[in-house]
Amino acid sequence: ADKWDMPMGYSGSNFHSVTGAEFAKCVTKGTGGELEIVTHPGGSLFKGNEIKRAVQTGQAQIGERILSAHQNENALFGIDSIPFLATSFEDSVKLWKAAKPEFDKLLDSQNLVLLYSVPWPPQGLYFKKEVNSVADMKGIKFRSYNTATGRLAELTGMLPVQIEAAEISQAFATGVAESMVSSGSTGYDRKVWESLTHFYEVDAWLPRNYVFVNKDSWGGLSDGVKNVINGCASIAEYAGYWRSVQYTEFTIGQLAKNGMTVGKAGDALKGELQEIGKKMTAEWLEKAGPTGKAIVDAFKASQ
Amino acid sequence: MEEFYLTAIFLFVLFLMLGTGVWVGLALFGVAFVGLELFTTRPAGDAMTTVIWSGTSSWTLTALPLFIWMGEILYRTRLSEDMFRGLAPWMSRLPGGLVHTNIVGCTIFAAVSGSSAATLTTVGKMSIPELRKRGYPERMIIGTLTGAATLGLMIPPSLTLIVYGVTVNESISKLFLAGVFPGLTLALLFMGYVAWWSFTKPEEVPDISEKLTFGQKLWESRFLLPVIVLISVVIGSMYLGIATATEAAAFGVIGSLILAALQSSLSLSTFLDSLIGATRTSAMIMFILAGAAALSLAMGFTGLPRALATWIDTLGLSPFALLMALMVFYIILGCFLDGISSVVLTMAIVEPMIRQAGIDIIWFGIFIVVVVEMAQITPPIGFNLFVMQGMTNHGMGYIAKTALPMFLIMVVMVFILIFFPELVTYLPENMRATPGG
Amino acid sequence: MAAIRKLLDGLYLAGGILGALSLVIILILVVLQMVARWSGEVAPGIPEYAGYFMASSAFLAFAYALNKGAHIRVGLLLQALGDKRKWLEIWCFAIGSGLAIYFSYYAIKAVYWSQKLNDISQGQDATPLWIPQLSMAVGAVLLAIAMLDHLVQLIFTGEHGIDSDALESHAE
Ligand code: NA
Ligand code: NA
Repeated sequence: ADKWDMPMGYSGSNFHSVTGAEFAKCVTKGTGGELEIVTHPGGSLFKGNEIKRAVQTGQAQIGERILSAHQNENALFGIDSIPFLATSFEDSVKLWKAAKPEFDKLLDSQNLVLLYSVPWPPQGLYFKKEVNSVADMKGIKFRSYNTATGRLAELTGMLPVQIEAAEISQAFATGVAESMVSSGSTGYDRKVWESLTHFYEVDAWLPRNYVFVNKDSWGGLSDGVKNVINGCASIAEYAGYWRSVQYTEFTIGQLAKNGMTVGKAGDALKGELQEIGKKMTAEWLEKAGPTGKAIVDAFKASQ
Repeated sequence: MEEFYLTAIFLFVLFLMLGTGVWVGLALFGVAFVGLELFTTRPAGDAMTTVIWSGTSSWTLTALPLFIWMGEILYRTRLSEDMFRGLAPWMSRLPGGLVHTNIVGCTIFAAVSGSSAATLTTVGKMSIPELRKRGYPERMIIGTLTGAATLGLMIPPSLTLIVYGVTVNESISKLFLAGVFPGLTLALLFMGYVAWWSFTKPEEVPDISEKLTFGQKLWESRFLLPVIVLISVVIGSMYLGIATATEAAAFGVIGSLILAALQSSLSLSTFLDSLIGATRTSAMIMFILAGAAALSLAMGFTGLPRALATWIDTLGLSPFALLMALMVFYIILGCFLDGISSVVLTMAIVEPMIRQAGIDIIWFGIFIVVVVEMAQITPPIGFNLFVMQGMTNHGMGYIAKTALPMFLIMVVMVFILIFFPELVTYLPENMRATPGG
Repeated sequence: MAAIRKLLDGLYLAGGILGALSLVIILILVVLQMVARWSGEVAPGIPEYAGYFMASSAFLAFAYALNKGAHIRVGLLLQALGDKRKWLEIWCFAIGSGLAIYFSYYAIKAVYWSQKLNDISQGQDATPLWIPQLSMAVGAVLLAIAMLDHLVQLIFTGEHGIDSDALESHAE
């Protein structure tokens, strides 16, 4: 019997971690204990930042990470986070379908095998006041955490402030930051209603987590075990997707229940944001080259 | 039973290395190496290097060396003497005299810093020389300081509470509020112990009291002003949203440099001395933290903390018995791990246990801080003991002995928390942070 | 001999000075981060840079701290042995040298792999990670040299040559 350790970045109660734990159970059971997978959520084995590298170099056999975290090394990893390109669960799946063959290739070149991917709930905008247009956002201190969110702040006239994930609640409570783009679930988990008042469901994009295996570890498996893993992976992808859909409704309901003003953005704001989205898509295409263009074209054709 | 052998091997290697005088950081690294080589097929050296890098190259850690630097500056200026001159008239009449400055100093500085190591070095740098000068027994100076420094993690801001809050998805602001009263209670208990000591061993208490009128005392308090200003600036910067809890440390350093300059006790040589002193102390602490990161990885791979927590889960204990079991569990875990690693490695198992037993999750955050802090003042791996050893050159056994009364007081504190849970829950339930601000 | 001694002590001191410099840079970066936010300027990547200097302030100063007797150890048995402590000290420095060399090897390997895998920071700084990781490799090698240096001194002179100048050293 073999044992695989699976580092994961988010805390054990997060739905991605729950999906991962069930995937691990499925493999352990399905192989009759021939391969046992043990998940380590909450960065308890390797921190989120280190997981991909750890799996690439065989320090762990399998792991999970948010896709866009790696867009600095290759723009392709940012495909899920282009604002206002794929703005619904259905579109997110179509975009992923269009992109998957390229990711298989890219990850293969990095000594990794792609298993499955689950989207986060759609990203909305959190504020401390009512916002009806991009002009209303001017000068607001906006939490940015990567190049894309920094650029989003720039294009909307907000001030990007870099706040580490651990400091989010504190930063909002003390006014170091006043706004962020994130899913309803982050707002629920971090209980942002203690400091923020408005959540606009602009459905900017749906970030994805993805699960990958070290190629050498994968190569050492029997075909039977590989089949079980692939089977469990498709179950996990399906179950994780529906968890995400359900969790979206639940968390947004919770935001409202705890006193936040929750709703769709007005048409004026939506139109302006769409324009910004077009600009950022164009900028991304420039970085991602012909591969990126092929994916976006295929996605648009499937819409 | 595999867990039993694992524990035995870890303990044996750890005691062998520590006992024979191998540097603590390297001993932890060595135990991690043995654990990884024996119990996983993963490449030990690569994996340890990965976690050591991510554990040391961290933004949130930067507050630690900065606060240590602040302590080094204050220690080299007249500020520490002044703080004593200001506090002395008020403390000297309390039973136990100036030993109380250790506890009061730690309580105040705990509101500034998020770690107990920074609290210990900053307060210790100032108070140890002054207390020695006045003839207080070494045992009391060291013991109360080692114990009281644990307040750094209970009184907000607190690194452990931030990590706990993120792990269990609870409001960090609520956790911070929850820590205030228990922190103050613990400080009072420590002070009560000092008073008790002065009644039972009056011959040990040096006579320093000068009879001062209230007005004279107030006048003497002017010496406190600079330190009060400094601390207000650091705390204020955090609560006014000018700085994050991490950034506030920079206010501490710059503020103390300015104060030192105003008192004309800042020269190039004191500046450089404080800088190199801070570098040395923080390198010493980081050396241990690096080893601890490696050991925490080994623990994660072997699954020992989880297995033990799962075992406790299977016992089907009543809530009270469960808390007692967890207290013992975290004290034992504290033999190997620092507080934050203990929390991260076990919460996946412990959180559902707590929720299922109907224990308030905010309350449990404070419970766990007290319990992992108890582990920080017990050998063989006790962080406050290491820092204190680095500062005073006392042996770890001696320091642990002097801190034993503080350990027992913290055990009492656990029972106070269990029987008076309102101490924890009152503030977070009744002081809702105002939205909008 | 004296020249080598001078060179080695100079190396450790240089590491300590670079570590101290890193500490000053951390302070400057934290202040810049705040000033940028207050004034509405954009200064991306500062938390990451501060983290890298946090690492270099530690790693580069490890050998210096060892040389100054700042690293903590349990001295109970060593003290009990009195004059016969030489052999136990040799054991400690041998283990120390072994582990430090082991760590140096992997720290260098980590730098090599970061470069080869094109491992780039996931923050807004997008720094190729092998550059900041150099401080880890250099610091580890310095520590290994210092351990070996003291081990050799111990074997040939019976003294490890660490000047324990802790300011408040206090008899028990
Ligand atoms: Na604190
Ligand atoms: Na302990």
